[in-house]
Amino acid sequence: MKRRLSAFALALTLLARPAGAADAPLPSALGYKPQDELERSLWLEMDEQERELKNSKFVVRDPALNAYVRGVLCRTVGEDRCQSARIYIVRTPQFNANMAPNGMMQVWTGLLLRMRNEAQLAAVLGHEFGHFERQHSLKQFKSIRSKADAMAWLSFLPYGAGLIGQVALLGSVFSFSRDMEREADELSVTYLAQSPYATDQANRIWEQLRAEQDATAAARGTKSAKDKNGGFFATHPNTAERVAYLREAATQKPHPEGRNFDAEYRQALVSWWPSLIDDQVKLNDFGGTSFLLEKLAADGWTPDLNFARGELYRARGREGDFAAAATHYRAAIDSGSVLPECWRGLGMAMLRNGQQAEGQAALQKYLELKPDAGDRSIIAMMAGG
Amino acid sequence: MNWNRIAFAVVAVALTTAPAMAGWKVATTGQPVTVAKSTLSVRPLADWNMASARPSKKGEMWTIDGATLNELSFFAGVAPGEALVKERDKKNKPLPKVTSGMLLTDIPPLLEQTMRIALGTSLFEVETMEPAKLAGHDAITFRYRYVVEADNLERRGEARAALVNGKLYVINFSAPKIHYFDRDIDAVRRLMDSATL
Repeated sequence: MKRRLSAFALALTLLARPAGAADAPLPSALGYKPQDELERSLWLEMDEQERELKNSKFVVRDPALNAYVRGVLCRTVGEDRCQSARIYIVRTPQFNANMAPNGMMQVWTGLLLRMRNEAQLAAVLGHEFGHFERQHSLKQFKSIRSKADAMAWLSFLPYGAGLIGQVALLGSVFSFSRDMEREADELSVTYLAQSPYATDQANRIWEQLRAEQDATAAARGTKSAKDKNGGFFATHPNTAERVAYLREAATQKPHPEGRNFDAEYRQALVSWWPSLIDDQVKLNDFGGTSFLLEKLAADGWTPDLNFARGELYRARGREGDFAAAATHYRAAIDSGSVLPECWRGLGMAMLRNGQQAEGQAALQKYLELKPDAGDRSIIAMMAGG
Repeated sequence: MNWNRIAFAVVAVALTTAPAMAGWKVATTGQPVTVAKSTLSVRPLADWNMASARPSKKGEMWTIDGATLNELSFFAGVAPGEALVKERDKKNKPLPKVTSGMLLTDIPPLLEQTMRIALGTSLFEVETMEPAKLAGHDAITFRYRYVVEADNLERRGEARAALVNGKLYVINFSAPKIHYFDRDIDAVRRLMDSATL
Protein backbone atom coordinates (compact mmCIF):
# COMPACT_ATOMS: atom_id res chain seq x y z
CA MET A 1 0.00 0.00 0.00
CA LYS A 2 2.78 2.33 0.99
CA ARG A 3 4.65 1.61 -2.23
CA ARG A 4 1.53 2.19 -4.22
CA LEU A 5 1.02 5.49 -2.47
CA SER A 6 4.54 6.71 -3.16
CA ALA A 7 4.31 5.67 -6.80
CA PHE A 8 1.04 7.55 -6.90
CA ALA A 9 2.66 10.61 -5.32
CA LEU A 10 5.58 10.45 -7.73
CA ALA A 11 3.27 10.17 -10.71
CA LEU A 12 1.33 13.20 -9.52
CA THR A 13 4.50 15.18 -8.85
CA LEU A 14 5.69 14.59 -12.37
CA LEU A 15 2.33 15.46 -13.81
CA ALA A 16 1.93 18.56 -11.71
CA ARG A 17 5.36 20.00 -12.30
CA PRO A 18 5.34 22.88 -14.76
CA ALA A 19 7.59 22.51 -17.80
CA GLY A 20 10.99 24.10 -17.34
CA ALA A 21 10.85 24.09 -13.56
CA ALA A 22 12.23 20.65 -12.94
CA ASP A 23 14.31 21.66 -9.91
CA ALA A 24 11.94 24.10 -8.22
CA PRO A 25 10.31 22.62 -5.11
CA LEU A 26 6.54 22.36 -5.22
CA PRO A 27 4.53 24.17 -2.56
CA SER A 28 2.77 20.89 -1.84
CA ALA A 29 6.07 19.27 -0.79
CA LEU A 30 6.54 18.62 2.90
CA GLY A 31 8.37 21.48 4.63
CA TYR A 32 8.14 23.83 1.64
CA LYS A 33 9.24 27.38 2.51
CA PRO A 34 8.78 30.59 0.52
CA GLN A 35 11.58 30.98 -1.99
CA ASP A 36 12.10 34.74 -2.03
CA GLU A 37 11.14 37.97 -0.30
CA LEU A 38 8.07 38.50 -2.42
CA GLU A 39 6.70 35.07 -1.69
CA ARG A 40 7.52 35.51 2.00
CA SER A 41 5.52 38.74 2.13
CA LEU A 42 2.56 37.03 0.51
CA TRP A 43 2.78 34.18 3.03
CA LEU A 44 2.99 36.61 5.93
CA GLU A 45 -0.17 38.32 4.76
CA MET A 46 -1.94 34.99 4.37
CA ASP A 47 -0.70 33.70 7.73
CA GLU A 48 -2.15 36.79 9.37
CA GLN A 49 -5.48 36.23 7.62
CA GLU A 50 -5.44 32.59 8.63
CA ARG A 51 -4.89 33.56 12.26
CA GLU A 52 -8.09 35.63 12.08
CA LEU A 53 -10.00 32.95 10.20
CA LYS A 54 -9.15 30.42 12.90
CA ASN A 55 -11.08 32.52 15.42
CA SER A 56 -14.02 33.28 13.16
CA LYS A 57 -17.45 32.20 14.38
CA PHE A 58 -18.23 31.39 10.74
CA VAL A 59 -15.82 28.45 10.72
CA VAL A 60 -17.68 25.14 11.06
CA ARG A 61 -15.99 23.20 13.87
CA ASP A 62 -17.84 19.87 13.47
CA PRO A 63 -14.93 17.37 13.63
CA ALA A 64 -16.78 14.74 11.57
CA LEU A 65 -17.50 17.11 8.69
CA ASN A 66 -13.95 18.47 8.76
CA ALA A 67 -12.46 14.99 8.73
CA TYR A 68 -14.72 14.04 5.84
CA VAL A 69 -13.76 17.00 3.63
CA ARG A 70 -10.07 16.47 4.42
CA GLY A 71 -10.46 12.78 3.54
CA VAL A 72 -11.90 13.72 0.14
CA LEU A 73 -8.99 16.07 -0.56
CA CYS A 74 -6.45 13.45 0.50
CA ARG A 75 -8.03 10.76 -1.63
CA THR A 76 -8.00 13.22 -4.56
CA VAL A 77 -4.45 14.59 -4.46
CA GLY A 78 -2.77 11.86 -2.42
CA GLU A 79 -1.97 11.45 1.28
CA ASP A 80 1.43 13.11 1.02
CA ARG A 81 0.57 16.32 -0.69
CA CYS A 82 -2.75 16.90 1.10
CA GLN A 83 -0.70 17.48 4.28
CA SER A 84 0.15 20.91 2.88
CA ALA A 85 -3.49 22.01 3.08
CA ARG A 86 -5.28 23.35 6.15
CA ILE A 87 -9.01 23.25 5.48
CA TYR A 88 -11.56 25.67 6.91
CA ILE A 89 -15.24 25.04 6.24
CA VAL A 90 -16.97 28.42 6.28
CA ARG A 91 -20.68 28.87 7.00
CA THR A 92 -21.79 31.01 4.12
CA PRO A 93 -24.44 30.07 1.57
CA GLN A 94 -22.60 31.02 -1.63
CA PHE A 95 -20.74 28.66 -3.94
CA ASN A 96 -17.01 29.10 -3.34
CA ALA A 97 -13.75 27.43 -2.44
CA ASN A 98 -10.21 28.74 -2.61
CA MET A 99 -6.71 27.93 -1.52
CA ALA A 100 -4.17 30.57 -0.52
CA PRO A 101 -0.47 30.25 -1.35
CA ASN A 102 0.39 29.37 2.27
CA GLY A 103 -1.88 26.30 2.23
CA MET A 104 -5.04 27.78 3.81
CA MET A 105 -8.03 26.30 2.01
CA GLN A 106 -11.59 27.62 2.41
CA VAL A 107 -14.61 25.54 1.52
CA TRP A 108 -17.91 27.42 1.80
CA THR A 109 -21.02 25.59 2.92
CA GLY A 110 -22.90 26.88 -0.16
CA LEU A 111 -20.52 24.72 -2.18
CA LEU A 112 -21.25 21.66 -0.05
CA LEU A 113 -24.98 22.22 -0.56
CA ARG A 114 -24.54 22.23 -4.34
CA MET A 115 -22.40 19.14 -4.77
CA ARG A 116 -24.30 15.99 -5.66
CA ASN A 117 -21.62 13.49 -4.75
CA GLU A 118 -18.10 13.05 -3.44
CA ALA A 119 -16.57 13.02 -6.93
CA GLN A 120 -17.90 16.54 -7.55
CA LEU A 121 -16.44 17.81 -4.30
CA ALA A 122 -13.18 16.08 -5.22
CA ALA A 123 -13.17 17.88 -8.59
CA VAL A 124 -13.50 21.31 -6.94
CA LEU A 125 -10.94 20.59 -4.23
CA GLY A 126 -8.57 19.22 -6.87
CA HIS A 127 -9.05 22.37 -8.94
CA GLU A 128 -8.20 24.67 -6.01
CA PHE A 129 -5.27 22.48 -5.08
CA GLY A 130 -4.10 22.78 -8.68
CA HIS A 131 -4.00 26.60 -8.38
CA PHE A 132 -2.02 26.21 -5.19
CA GLU A 133 0.44 23.69 -6.53
CA ARG A 134 1.10 25.65 -9.68
CA GLN A 135 1.49 28.81 -7.56
CA HIS A 136 -0.98 30.78 -9.62
CA SER A 137 -1.51 33.41 -6.91
CA LEU A 138 2.21 34.00 -6.60
CA LYS A 139 2.56 34.33 -10.36
CA GLN A 140 -0.26 36.86 -10.49
CA PHE A 141 1.24 38.71 -7.55
CA LYS A 142 4.58 38.92 -9.35
CA SER A 143 2.96 40.13 -12.53
CA ILE A 144 1.09 42.86 -10.66
CA ARG A 145 4.30 43.85 -8.93
CA SER A 146 6.05 44.18 -12.24
CA LYS A 147 3.42 46.72 -13.27
CA ALA A 148 2.75 48.54 -10.02
CA ASP A 149 3.55 48.18 -6.40
CA ALA A 150 1.72 45.10 -5.26
CA MET A 151 2.57 45.87 -1.65
CA ALA A 152 0.33 48.88 -1.95
CA TRP A 153 -2.46 46.48 -2.82
CA LEU A 154 -1.76 44.38 0.21
CA SER A 155 -1.59 47.31 2.60
CA PHE A 156 -4.79 48.67 1.14
CA LEU A 157 -6.74 45.57 2.01
CA PRO A 158 -9.35 46.72 4.51
CA TYR A 159 -9.10 44.59 7.59
CA GLY A 160 -12.61 45.55 8.64
CA ALA A 161 -14.03 44.09 5.45
CA GLY A 162 -14.16 40.72 7.09
CA LEU A 163 -11.88 37.88 6.48
CA ILE A 164 -13.98 35.79 4.18
CA GLY A 165 -14.61 38.76 1.93
CA GLN A 166 -10.97 39.70 2.13
CA VAL A 167 -9.78 36.38 0.89
CA ALA A 168 -12.34 36.58 -1.88
CA LEU A 169 -11.03 40.05 -2.65
CA LEU A 170 -7.48 38.77 -2.82
CA GLY A 171 -8.84 36.22 -5.22
CA SER A 172 -10.09 39.02 -7.42
CA VAL A 173 -6.86 41.01 -7.15
CA PHE A 174 -5.08 37.88 -8.23
CA SER A 175 -7.84 37.02 -10.63
CA PHE A 176 -6.48 34.01 -12.42
CA SER A 177 -6.06 34.13 -16.13
CA ARG A 178 -8.15 31.91 -18.30
CA ASP A 179 -5.06 29.81 -18.97
CA MET A 180 -4.50 29.31 -15.26
CA GLU A 181 -8.11 28.26 -14.79
CA ARG A 182 -7.73 25.80 -17.58
CA GLU A 183 -4.48 24.50 -16.14
CA ALA A 184 -6.12 24.00 -12.71
CA ASP A 185 -9.08 22.28 -14.35
CA GLU A 186 -6.82 19.93 -16.28
CA LEU A 187 -4.75 19.24 -13.21
CA SER A 188 -7.93 18.43 -11.30
CA VAL A 189 -8.90 15.85 -13.94
CA THR A 190 -5.36 14.44 -13.72
CA TYR A 191 -5.65 14.03 -9.95
CA LEU A 192 -9.08 12.44 -10.31
CA ALA A 193 -7.82 9.97 -12.90
CA GLN A 194 -5.42 8.66 -10.22
CA SER A 195 -8.00 8.70 -7.45
CA PRO A 196 -11.01 6.56 -6.52
CA TYR A 197 -13.23 9.23 -8.12
CA ALA A 198 -14.88 9.48 -11.52
CA THR A 199 -13.44 12.14 -13.86
CA ASP A 200 -16.66 13.16 -15.56
CA GLN A 201 -18.28 15.15 -12.74
CA ALA A 202 -16.52 18.53 -13.02
CA ASN A 203 -18.44 19.70 -16.09
CA ARG A 204 -21.70 18.71 -14.39
CA ILE A 205 -21.00 21.10 -11.50
CA TRP A 206 -20.70 24.00 -13.89
CA GLU A 207 -23.66 22.91 -15.97
CA GLN A 208 -25.79 22.80 -12.85
CA LEU A 209 -24.51 26.17 -11.66
CA ARG A 210 -25.29 27.73 -15.03
CA ALA A 211 -28.81 26.31 -14.90
CA GLU A 212 -29.23 27.60 -11.33
CA GLN A 213 -28.20 31.11 -12.44
CA ASP A 214 -30.75 30.91 -15.26
CA ALA A 215 -33.43 29.91 -12.75
CA THR A 216 -32.53 32.77 -10.37
CA ALA A 217 -32.68 35.26 -13.23
CA ALA A 218 -35.94 33.91 -14.68
CA ALA A 219 -37.72 34.26 -11.34
CA ARG A 220 -36.34 37.77 -10.79
CA GLY A 221 -36.91 38.90 -14.37
CA THR A 222 -33.22 39.77 -14.78
CA LYS A 223 -30.53 38.60 -17.17
CA SER A 224 -28.76 35.40 -16.18
CA ALA A 225 -25.30 35.96 -14.69
CA LYS A 226 -24.02 32.70 -16.13
CA ASP A 227 -21.80 34.27 -18.80
CA LYS A 228 -20.76 37.23 -16.70
CA ASN A 229 -17.09 37.49 -16.07
CA GLY A 230 -17.06 39.55 -12.90
CA GLY A 231 -17.12 38.99 -9.14
CA PHE A 232 -16.55 35.43 -8.12
CA PHE A 233 -16.75 34.28 -11.71
CA ALA A 234 -13.78 36.45 -12.60
CA THR A 235 -11.70 33.80 -10.87
CA HIS A 236 -13.91 30.90 -11.84
CA PRO A 237 -15.27 31.64 -15.30
CA ASN A 238 -18.45 29.70 -15.56
CA THR A 239 -18.62 29.58 -19.28
CA ALA A 240 -20.00 27.23 -21.87
CA GLU A 241 -16.42 26.88 -23.12
CA ARG A 242 -15.33 25.58 -19.74
CA VAL A 243 -18.11 23.03 -19.58
CA ALA A 244 -17.08 21.87 -23.05
CA TYR A 245 -13.37 21.44 -22.37
CA LEU A 246 -14.01 19.75 -19.02
CA ARG A 247 -16.26 17.26 -20.76
CA GLU A 248 -13.54 16.76 -23.36
CA ALA A 249 -10.85 16.30 -20.68
CA ALA A 250 -12.97 13.62 -18.97
CA THR A 251 -13.37 11.81 -22.29
CA GLN A 252 -9.62 11.90 -22.85
CA LYS A 253 -8.87 10.55 -19.40
CA PRO A 254 -11.42 7.81 -18.95
CA HIS A 255 -11.34 6.32 -15.50
CA PRO A 256 -13.66 3.33 -15.55
CA GLU A 257 -12.91 2.32 -11.95
CA GLY A 258 -13.72 5.84 -10.73
CA ARG A 259 -16.96 6.17 -8.77
CA ASN A 260 -19.17 9.05 -7.66
CA PHE A 261 -19.83 7.96 -4.06
CA ASP A 262 -23.34 9.46 -3.96
CA ALA A 263 -24.56 7.66 -0.85
CA GLU A 264 -21.36 8.41 1.07
CA TYR A 265 -21.70 12.09 0.28
CA ARG A 266 -25.33 12.25 1.37
CA GLN A 267 -24.49 10.40 4.58
CA ALA A 268 -21.60 12.75 5.44
CA LEU A 269 -23.80 15.82 5.03
CA VAL A 270 -27.00 14.40 6.51
CA SER A 271 -26.92 16.29 9.81
CA TRP A 272 -26.00 19.54 8.03
CA TRP A 273 -28.62 19.54 5.27
CA PRO A 274 -31.39 21.26 7.29
CA SER A 275 -29.11 24.19 8.27
CA LEU A 276 -27.58 24.56 4.83
CA ILE A 277 -30.98 24.45 3.13
CA ASP A 278 -32.31 26.97 5.66
CA ASP A 279 -29.43 29.35 4.84
CA GLN A 280 -30.28 29.01 1.15
CA VAL A 281 -34.05 29.47 1.58
CA LYS A 282 -33.43 32.72 3.48
CA LEU A 283 -31.47 34.24 0.59
CA ASN A 284 -34.74 35.42 -0.99
CA ASP A 285 -33.80 33.71 -4.26
CA PHE A 286 -36.97 31.82 -5.14
CA GLY A 287 -35.90 30.67 -8.60
CA GLY A 288 -32.41 29.52 -7.69
CA THR A 289 -33.56 27.84 -4.48
CA SER A 290 -36.45 26.00 -6.21
CA PHE A 291 -34.01 24.77 -8.81
CA LEU A 292 -31.55 23.59 -6.17
CA LEU A 293 -34.22 21.82 -4.14
CA GLU A 294 -35.39 20.01 -7.27
CA LYS A 295 -31.82 18.90 -8.00
CA LEU A 296 -31.36 17.72 -4.43
CA ALA A 297 -34.65 15.85 -4.72
CA ALA A 298 -33.57 13.97 -7.85
CA ASP A 299 -33.82 10.73 -5.89
CA GLY A 300 -37.04 11.67 -4.15
CA TRP A 301 -38.46 14.41 -1.95
CA THR A 302 -37.25 13.80 1.59
CA PRO A 303 -39.18 15.28 4.53
CA ASP A 304 -36.46 17.96 4.95
CA LEU A 305 -36.67 18.97 1.30
CA ASN A 306 -40.46 19.17 1.41
CA PHE A 307 -40.28 21.28 4.55
CA ALA A 308 -37.78 23.60 2.84
CA ARG A 309 -40.11 23.90 -0.18
CA GLY A 310 -42.98 24.79 2.15
CA GLU A 311 -40.86 27.49 3.81
CA LEU A 312 -39.81 28.85 0.41
CA TYR A 313 -43.37 29.22 -0.87
CA ARG A 314 -44.68 30.60 2.41
CA ALA A 315 -41.90 33.21 2.52
CA ARG A 316 -42.64 34.39 -1.03
CA GLY A 317 -46.34 34.67 -0.27
CA ARG A 318 -47.70 35.32 -3.76
CA GLU A 319 -51.12 34.23 -4.87
CA GLY A 320 -51.37 30.45 -4.65
CA ASP A 321 -48.13 30.17 -2.66
CA PHE A 322 -49.84 29.47 0.68
CA ALA A 323 -51.86 26.61 -0.77
CA ALA A 324 -48.68 25.23 -2.37
CA ALA A 325 -46.77 25.66 0.90
CA ALA A 326 -49.48 23.76 2.81
CA THR A 327 -49.23 20.89 0.31
CA HIS A 328 -45.44 20.68 0.81
CA TYR A 329 -45.63 20.78 4.62
CA ARG A 330 -48.31 18.11 4.47
CA ALA A 331 -46.08 15.98 2.24
CA ALA A 332 -43.21 16.39 4.72
CA ILE A 333 -45.47 15.25 7.57
CA ASP A 334 -46.91 12.34 5.57
CA SER A 335 -43.41 11.14 4.63
CA GLY A 336 -42.45 10.95 8.29
CA SER A 337 -40.92 14.30 9.23
CA VAL A 338 -40.39 14.64 12.97
CA LEU A 339 -39.88 18.42 12.75
CA PRO A 340 -42.57 20.20 14.82
CA GLU A 341 -41.91 23.21 12.54
CA CYS A 342 -43.74 21.37 9.74
CA TRP A 343 -46.97 21.78 11.73
CA ARG A 344 -46.10 25.40 12.49
CA GLY A 345 -45.53 26.13 8.81
CA LEU A 346 -48.70 24.26 7.83
CA GLY A 347 -50.75 26.21 10.35
CA MET A 348 -49.36 29.58 9.25
CA ALA A 349 -49.83 28.79 5.55
CA MET A 350 -53.45 27.74 6.17
CA LEU A 351 -54.20 30.86 8.23
CA ARG A 352 -52.93 33.01 5.39
CA ASN A 353 -54.94 30.95 2.96
CA GLY A 354 -58.15 31.66 4.88
CA GLN A 355 -58.41 28.17 6.40
CA GLN A 356 -58.79 29.37 9.97
CA ALA A 357 -59.94 26.20 11.76
CA GLU A 358 -57.50 23.82 10.08
CA GLY A 359 -54.69 26.32 10.52
CA GLN A 360 -55.38 26.64 14.24
CA ALA A 361 -55.51 22.87 14.62
CA ALA A 362 -52.10 22.55 12.98
CA LEU A 363 -50.65 25.20 15.30
CA GLN A 364 -52.03 23.35 18.31
CA LYS A 365 -50.31 20.21 17.05
CA TYR A 366 -47.04 22.19 16.84
CA LEU A 367 -47.40 23.26 20.48
CA GLU A 368 -48.11 19.68 21.53
CA LEU A 369 -44.95 18.49 19.80
CA LYS A 370 -42.80 21.37 21.04
CA PRO A 371 -44.07 22.40 24.47
CA ASP A 372 -40.97 24.51 25.20
CA ALA A 373 -41.06 26.43 21.88
CA GLY A 374 -39.58 29.94 22.03
CA ASP A 375 -42.72 31.28 20.36
CA ARG A 376 -45.20 29.33 22.51
CA SER A 377 -47.24 32.25 23.86
CA ILE A 378 -47.87 33.98 20.56
CA ILE A 379 -48.61 30.74 18.69
CA ALA A 380 -51.02 29.72 21.47
CA MET A 381 -52.80 33.03 20.98
CA MET A 382 -53.05 32.46 17.21
CA ALA A 383 -54.14 28.86 17.74
CA GLY A 384 -57.10 30.12 19.71
CA GLY A 385 -56.19 28.21 22.84
CA MET B 1 -16.22 42.88 -5.15
CA ASN B 2 -16.01 46.60 -5.82
CA TRP B 3 -14.73 49.26 -3.47
CA ASN B 4 -18.15 50.65 -2.65
CA ARG B 5 -19.22 47.30 -1.39
CA ILE B 6 -16.08 46.98 0.67
CA ALA B 7 -16.60 50.40 2.21
CA PHE B 8 -20.11 49.27 3.08
CA ALA B 9 -18.84 45.97 4.45
CA VAL B 10 -16.41 47.78 6.75
CA VAL B 11 -19.21 49.38 8.69
CA ALA B 12 -22.17 47.12 8.08
CA VAL B 13 -22.52 45.32 11.38
CA ALA B 14 -26.02 46.50 12.19
CA LEU B 15 -29.05 46.91 9.99
CA THR B 16 -29.12 50.64 9.47
CA THR B 17 -25.58 51.76 10.25
CA ALA B 18 -25.25 55.38 9.23
CA PRO B 19 -22.30 56.62 7.21
CA ALA B 20 -19.64 58.60 9.06
CA MET B 21 -20.76 61.84 7.40
CA ALA B 22 -24.25 61.67 8.87
CA GLY B 23 -25.46 64.71 10.77
CA TRP B 24 -26.74 64.19 14.28
CA LYS B 25 -29.32 65.69 16.61
CA VAL B 26 -29.93 64.77 20.21
CA ALA B 27 -33.23 63.34 21.47
CA THR B 28 -33.47 64.60 25.01
CA THR B 29 -34.44 62.34 27.89
CA GLY B 30 -38.14 62.51 28.69
CA GLN B 31 -39.13 64.59 25.67
CA PRO B 32 -41.48 62.92 23.14
CA VAL B 33 -40.07 62.72 19.62
CA THR B 34 -41.83 61.75 16.40
CA VAL B 35 -39.75 59.41 14.31
CA ALA B 36 -39.27 58.29 10.71
CA LYS B 37 -41.31 61.19 9.33
CA SER B 38 -44.45 59.57 10.64
CA THR B 39 -46.90 59.93 13.51
CA LEU B 40 -45.02 57.31 15.55
CA SER B 41 -43.78 59.03 18.68
CA VAL B 42 -41.59 57.78 21.55
CA ARG B 43 -40.26 59.19 24.81
CA PRO B 44 -36.58 58.27 25.32
CA LEU B 45 -35.14 57.55 28.78
CA ALA B 46 -31.62 58.50 27.78
CA ASP B 47 -30.06 61.03 25.45
CA TRP B 48 -29.95 59.38 22.04
CA ASN B 49 -28.16 60.66 18.95
CA MET B 50 -30.53 60.76 16.00
CA ALA B 51 -28.85 60.27 12.61
CA SER B 52 -29.90 62.48 9.74
CA ALA B 53 -28.97 59.71 7.31
CA ARG B 54 -31.92 57.37 6.98
CA PRO B 55 -31.97 53.62 6.31
CA SER B 56 -35.02 54.06 4.06
CA LYS B 57 -37.72 56.61 3.32
CA LYS B 58 -39.70 55.19 6.20
CA GLY B 59 -36.85 54.53 8.61
CA GLU B 60 -34.72 56.34 11.16
CA MET B 61 -31.68 55.35 13.24
CA TRP B 62 -30.56 56.36 16.72
CA THR B 63 -27.53 55.47 18.77
CA ILE B 64 -25.94 56.32 22.13
CA ASP B 65 -22.29 55.38 21.67
CA GLY B 66 -22.13 54.70 17.92
CA ALA B 67 -24.13 52.38 15.74
CA THR B 68 -21.76 49.45 16.10
CA LEU B 69 -22.28 49.57 19.88
CA ASN B 70 -25.98 50.29 20.12
CA GLU B 71 -28.46 50.86 17.37
CA LEU B 72 -32.10 51.72 17.70
CA SER B 73 -34.00 51.76 14.44
CA PHE B 74 -37.56 52.75 13.65
CA PHE B 75 -39.59 51.76 10.61
CA ALA B 76 -42.99 53.37 10.37
CA GLY B 77 -45.82 52.67 7.93
CA VAL B 78 -43.96 50.28 5.61
CA ALA B 79 -46.59 49.31 3.03
CA PRO B 80 -47.08 46.02 1.13
CA GLY B 81 -44.53 45.76 -1.67
CA GLU B 82 -41.93 47.80 0.24
CA ALA B 83 -38.70 46.53 1.82
CA LEU B 84 -37.69 47.40 5.36
CA VAL B 85 -34.46 49.16 4.38
CA LYS B 86 -33.25 50.68 1.15
CA GLU B 87 -32.27 48.03 -1.38
CA ARG B 88 -28.62 48.51 -2.27
CA ASP B 89 -28.52 45.87 -4.98
CA LYS B 90 -32.06 45.37 -6.22
CA LYS B 91 -31.02 43.19 -9.12
CA ASN B 92 -28.75 40.70 -7.39
CA LYS B 93 -29.78 40.93 -3.75
CA PRO B 94 -33.43 41.88 -3.64
CA LEU B 95 -34.79 42.22 -0.11
CA PRO B 96 -38.01 40.60 1.08
CA LYS B 97 -41.07 42.85 1.03
CA VAL B 98 -44.01 43.47 3.30
CA THR B 99 -47.02 41.54 1.94
CA SER B 100 -50.72 42.17 2.44
CA GLY B 101 -52.33 39.84 4.94
CA MET B 102 -49.08 39.37 6.85
CA LEU B 103 -49.38 37.82 10.30
CA LEU B 104 -47.47 39.16 13.30
CA THR B 105 -45.36 36.00 13.23
CA ASP B 106 -44.30 36.80 9.66
CA ILE B 107 -42.46 39.91 10.89
CA PRO B 108 -39.46 38.22 12.57
CA PRO B 109 -38.62 36.22 9.39
CA LEU B 110 -38.91 39.43 7.36
CA LEU B 111 -36.36 41.16 9.59
CA GLU B 112 -34.18 38.04 9.68
CA GLN B 113 -34.02 37.69 5.90
CA THR B 114 -33.43 41.41 5.49
CA MET B 115 -30.51 41.28 7.92
CA ARG B 116 -29.07 38.07 6.48
CA ILE B 117 -29.05 39.60 3.01
CA ALA B 118 -28.05 43.18 3.90
CA LEU B 119 -25.28 42.10 6.29
CA GLY B 120 -24.22 39.00 4.37
CA THR B 121 -24.48 36.69 7.35
CA SER B 122 -25.82 33.20 7.88
CA LEU B 123 -25.27 33.30 11.64
CA PHE B 124 -28.64 34.68 12.62
CA GLU B 125 -31.21 33.10 14.89
CA VAL B 126 -34.58 34.27 16.16
CA GLU B 127 -34.80 32.95 19.71
CA THR B 128 -38.18 33.95 21.07
CA MET B 129 -41.44 35.54 19.93
CA GLU B 130 -44.14 36.79 22.28
CA PRO B 131 -47.37 38.76 22.03
CA ALA B 132 -47.04 42.44 22.97
CA LYS B 133 -48.55 45.87 22.45
CA LEU B 134 -47.16 48.72 20.41
CA ALA B 135 -48.91 52.10 20.67
CA GLY B 136 -52.06 50.24 21.84
CA HIS B 137 -52.08 47.84 18.89
CA ASP B 138 -51.56 44.07 18.97
CA ALA B 139 -47.86 43.53 18.43
CA ILE B 140 -45.06 41.00 18.60
CA THR B 141 -41.83 41.21 20.59
CA PHE B 142 -38.98 39.02 19.41
CA ARG B 143 -35.41 38.48 20.45
CA TYR B 144 -32.61 37.36 18.17
CA ARG B 145 -28.87 37.03 17.97
CA TYR B 146 -26.42 37.31 15.12
CA VAL B 147 -22.78 37.66 14.13
CA VAL B 148 -21.35 39.54 11.18
CA GLU B 149 -18.09 38.61 9.66
CA ALA B 150 -16.60 42.09 9.86
CA ASP B 151 -15.95 42.00 13.61
CA ASN B 152 -16.92 38.48 14.71
CA LEU B 153 -18.78 39.93 17.73
CA GLU B 154 -21.92 38.27 18.97
CA ARG B 155 -24.80 40.73 18.90
CA ARG B 156 -28.24 40.49 20.42
CA GLY B 157 -31.37 42.18 19.24
CA GLU B 158 -34.90 42.80 20.40
CA ALA B 159 -37.69 44.26 18.32
CA ARG B 160 -41.31 45.15 18.81
CA ALA B 161 -43.55 45.34 15.78
CA ALA B 162 -47.18 45.78 14.79
CA LEU B 163 -49.28 45.83 11.65
CA VAL B 164 -51.64 48.78 11.63
CA ASN B 165 -54.06 49.05 8.70
CA GLY B 166 -51.82 46.67 6.75
CA LYS B 167 -48.70 48.77 7.30
CA LEU B 168 -45.71 47.67 9.29
CA TYR B 169 -44.29 49.52 12.33
CA VAL B 170 -41.06 48.29 13.94
CA ILE B 171 -38.81 49.48 16.75
CA ASN B 172 -35.63 47.44 16.66
CA PHE B 173 -32.66 47.49 19.05
CA SER B 174 -29.36 45.66 18.59
CA ALA B 175 -26.05 45.77 20.43
CA PRO B 176 -23.05 43.56 21.22
CA LYS B 177 -23.89 40.86 23.72
CA ILE B 178 -20.94 41.91 25.82
CA HIS B 179 -21.92 44.84 28.05
CA TYR B 180 -23.97 47.01 25.69
CA PHE B 181 -27.13 44.97 25.15
CA ASP B 182 -27.75 44.32 28.82
CA ARG B 183 -26.85 47.88 29.81
CA ASP B 184 -29.50 49.49 27.59
CA ILE B 185 -32.27 46.95 27.03
CA ASP B 186 -34.45 47.99 30.00
CA ALA B 187 -34.49 51.62 28.96
CA VAL B 188 -35.18 50.58 25.37
CA ARG B 189 -38.17 48.47 26.45
CA ARG B 190 -39.60 51.43 28.32
CA LEU B 191 -39.08 53.57 25.22
CA MET B 192 -41.00 50.92 23.23
CA ASP B 193 -43.76 51.03 25.90
CA SER B 194 -43.99 54.80 25.49
CA ALA B 195 -44.78 54.64 21.75
CA THR B 196 -47.91 56.34 20.46
CA LEU B 197 -49.32 56.42 16.96
